[in-house]
Amino acid sequence: MKALILIMISGALINNVVLNQFLGICSFLGVSKQMKASASLGAAVIFVLTIASAVASLLYDLVLAPLGLDFMKTIVFILVIAALVQIVEMFLKKTSPAVYKALGIFLPLITTNCAVLGVALTNVQNGYNFIECVLSGFGTAVGYTIAIVLLAGIRSRIQETDLPEPLRGAPIVLISAALMSIAFMGFSGLNI
Amino acid sequence: MMNTALNISSGPHVRNKLSTRMIMALVLLALLPATIVGVVVYGTHALLIILCSVGTAVLSEYLFDLLVHKDPKGCLDGSAALTGLLLALSLSPSTPLYAPILGAVFAIVVVKGCFGGLGKNFLNPALAARCFLLISFSNPMTAFKVDAVTSATPVAELLAGRAVNITSMFLGTSNAVIGSSILALLIGGLLLWAFDIIHGEICFSVLGAFTLFVALFGGQGFDPAFLVANICGGGIVMGAFFMATDYVTSPVSKKGQIIYGAVIGILAGLFRVYGSSADSVSYSILIGNLLTPMIDMYVVPKPFAYTKKEVSKRNGEPKKTFKDFVPRPVIVIAIITLIAGVALGGTYRMTEETISIQKEKKAWASYQAVVPGAVEFKQVEAVNEIAGQIYGTEFGRVKINQAVEGLDESGNTVGYAVEATSSEGYEGNITISIGISANGTINSISFTELNETPGKGMLASEPEFKDQFNGMAATKLKLVKSGKSASNEVDSISGATITSNAVVNAVNAALDFYNNTIKGE
Amino acid sequence: MNKYVERLYNGLIKENPTMVLMLGMCPTLAVSTRAMNGIGMGLSTTAVLILSNLVISLLRKVIPDEVRLPSYIVIVASLVTVTELLLEAYIPSVYEALGIYIPLIVVNCIILGRAEAFANKNKPLLSVMDGVGMGLGFTVALTLAGLFREVLGNGTAFGFRILPSGVQPIAIFVQPPGAFLVIALFIVIMNAIGIKTRQKKLVEGCDGCCSTCASTCKEAEK
Repeated sequence: MKALILIMISGALINNVVLNQFLGICSFLGVSKQMKASASLGAAVIFVLTIASAVASLLYDLVLAPLGLDFMKTIVFILVIAALVQIVEMFLKKTSPAVYKALGIFLPLITTNCAVLGVALTNVQNGYNFIECVLSGFGTAVGYTIAIVLLAGIRSRIQETDLPEPLRGAPIVLISAALMSIAFMGFSGLNI
Repeated sequence: MMNTALNISSGPHVRNKLSTRMIMALVLLALLPATIVGVVVYGTHALLIILCSVGTAVLSEYLFDLLVHKDPKGCLDGSAALTGLLLALSLSPSTPLYAPILGAVFAIVVVKGCFGGLGKNFLNPALAARCFLLISFSNPMTAFKVDAVTSATPVAELLAGRAVNITSMFLGTSNAVIGSSILALLIGGLLLWAFDIIHGEICFSVLGAFTLFVALFGGQGFDPAFLVANICGGGIVMGAFFMATDYVTSPVSKKGQIIYGAVIGILAGLFRVYGSSADSVSYSILIGNLLTPMIDMYVVPKPFAYTKKEVSKRNGEPKKTFKDFVPRPVIVIAIITLIAGVALGGTYRMTEETISIQKEKKAWASYQAVVPGAVEFKQVEAVNEIAGQIYGTEFGRVKINQAVEGLDESGNTVGYAVEATSSEGYEGNITISIGISANGTINSISFTELNETPGKGMLASEPEFKDQFNGMAATKLKLVKSGKSASNEVDSISGATITSNAVVNAVNAALDFYNNTIKGE
Repeated sequence: MNKYVERLYNGLIKENPTMVLMLGMCPTLAVSTRAMNGIGMGLSTTAVLILSNLVISLLRKVIPDEVRLPSYIVIVASLVTVTELLLEAYIPSVYEALGIYIPLIVVNCIILGRAEAFANKNKPLLSVMDGVGMGLGFTVALTLAGLFREVLGNGTAFGFRILPSGVQPIAIFVQPPGAFLVIALFIVIMNAIGIKTRQKKLVEGCDGCCSTCASTCKEAEK
């Protein structure tokens, strides 16, 4: 039990996927401009990443590993994620238009979000079982959401006009991310 | 004139009628007692640290303002001096002087200046600088030398379960940072609170939540001496009164301030009780700072920049789904995938044998390194039964990959090599070959896979850590933070507990396999 | 300038993928802890980029527009795995040095970005030269960033200690926060000396991502 909780906390805070592993940087930097969009993207990532980790884990344990097709995992996972995003999109559209409306435009973004593939691959590399994969996927996605929402909050405070010209745009956002990363290093070595 | 100008350019205006300059002067004054005690107790080096830090802070503010064409007189508003002083007070009295200088530059230029100066930063500059220094120079920053004797801080002693002298911690004569006199800090802090310069909501919720957490999870219950000692050590008082209360980086509303304080207190408790990092308070306040924009946004509801209209416009019409695909694309992608699959499978079959030969060669080289004198290696059969499985229950995620018996020219056993992988390194797998001589001692260990953090976990392959294992008896080893005292203890790499732990676990699993399976045969 | 040579100049300087186009931020931040990593990651990416540009350019008339992204991803993923297997079998010393970076190439935006922006519109040979130029541009930028971080954070350059032993390196530069700081510093310098980059787009909504993400995004916004 403790090990499971630790996997989740480690995914969310200690090894934060964005601030520590540098996966999903594109959308982290790009979408954090708007708070609302960040929160929605975060929700969509939690949704897809959890399901993708589960499917990838099953596929690996039940098909790829027994058949000795370990070397196919990258290509299979990518296809699974792409297909999954499409299916989730269609499913949501039919069953829950409200949720679809909120998350819809962010779903395609997730196909090319390297965090999703990264997590699926690390799960396998770490030899996680099914439950552990799901929790690690969920934890990682929560970590992604925390990071992007916090950055969006910070960016809402930054007034570009105050800044010296060369700092405007990407530099100030990157510096903010660096400072966030310093704060998150407080979690490193946490031994629960 | 000057005052008014400053008043306009500084932080959110709703909070206080006093001018920035006035407030800064009062806070500096409130820190004076702690500063004086620090200098008296720790001597001239402490004074030098304070002067360097404050001087550098003011100077870098002046130079940065010049660089970005602002009025450079702003550096005299006291905020830079305050940042410098807070930084200095949070440093060990034996810190080398380059640390406060570098830290003050980082605080003023990166944390504050880059974001537009006073009132625009989102992290407390002094704390961010302290963490910057902690991460950068972990050893010099956490060494506490009084009279040239290095010893553990009261907090370290406390966490190790040893008795501490609460009186000396309270007065500030213990082995801690320059601004560690709780008495002096309390005098200043409570005065500031009494004159409404700082918000009681923040400082008391930090202290309250911290105490509660330590009481609940600290392992010693509501033992008053333990709680008081925890409050007196590790900078929680300075953090609560002088750092968490910074106007710019804390929430505006009362309710928000209480939430903010409670989060900081809980995190500080969590890091104190369970953390391995040298500092618990600084990081938790920084995380509180990160949360401030969110708290301000949600605790005092204010309209979003988004309107409903915009949202519905953005969502627009649904996009393409599978249904819209005409058959041709599906066929094309299926063919591409098929060809890719065949190409991959073909390459795999083609390279399979060569790869396994290469791997074997590499493994042999590593066995030879740890079992000197062997000219031939024979696989230990029993290893096949546990291949690919997590080994045992007490070693974490460790697998035994291979075990071989090393033979010399005449066929006598000269030792064994066991290769084990722990997937709990800081950045992934760590694979080690462990050589055990015929008489049951460890020859040496050799890393075949190690991709840890440079300067921290990577130090595992340096002789200082690695050679500790040489010649130890092949019984279960124990990792200790530092200062090993028994023959089965291994010193952890400073600042890389996770890596050290993974290495020791892998070695222990290998030794366990040697003792219970190989020797038993 | 000869149009093939022009491709090289374009990749190395004019549209340097890391410094000007701001593509592939994930690997740039993640592996720039040491200068040697920059060379390793850079050269393996270059190899895959040349091959993927070639294959995609050859197939540019075959692949239908609707499924081009999934097709590219499949092609790139296969090429990466093939490269990995071949290196492991026949040049093990190189594999040893680059091993851990190779799977990361799949998610490098530069590859998909160039497929989308160049290879699917141009002839094979020109696309190969684009791959060479962009790959080398990425290698140079990554090595510089790695060198900078290694010297400041670890006191070494390509593994050799260059700071005098009394000088303490600033370890934060080889830690995650340092990655963000160094890239920010590079962009500030580019801005200050007036080199136009895509830096603003990096942080402004959908367009900030690589062109693949951006094109998905545009479809999404429609």
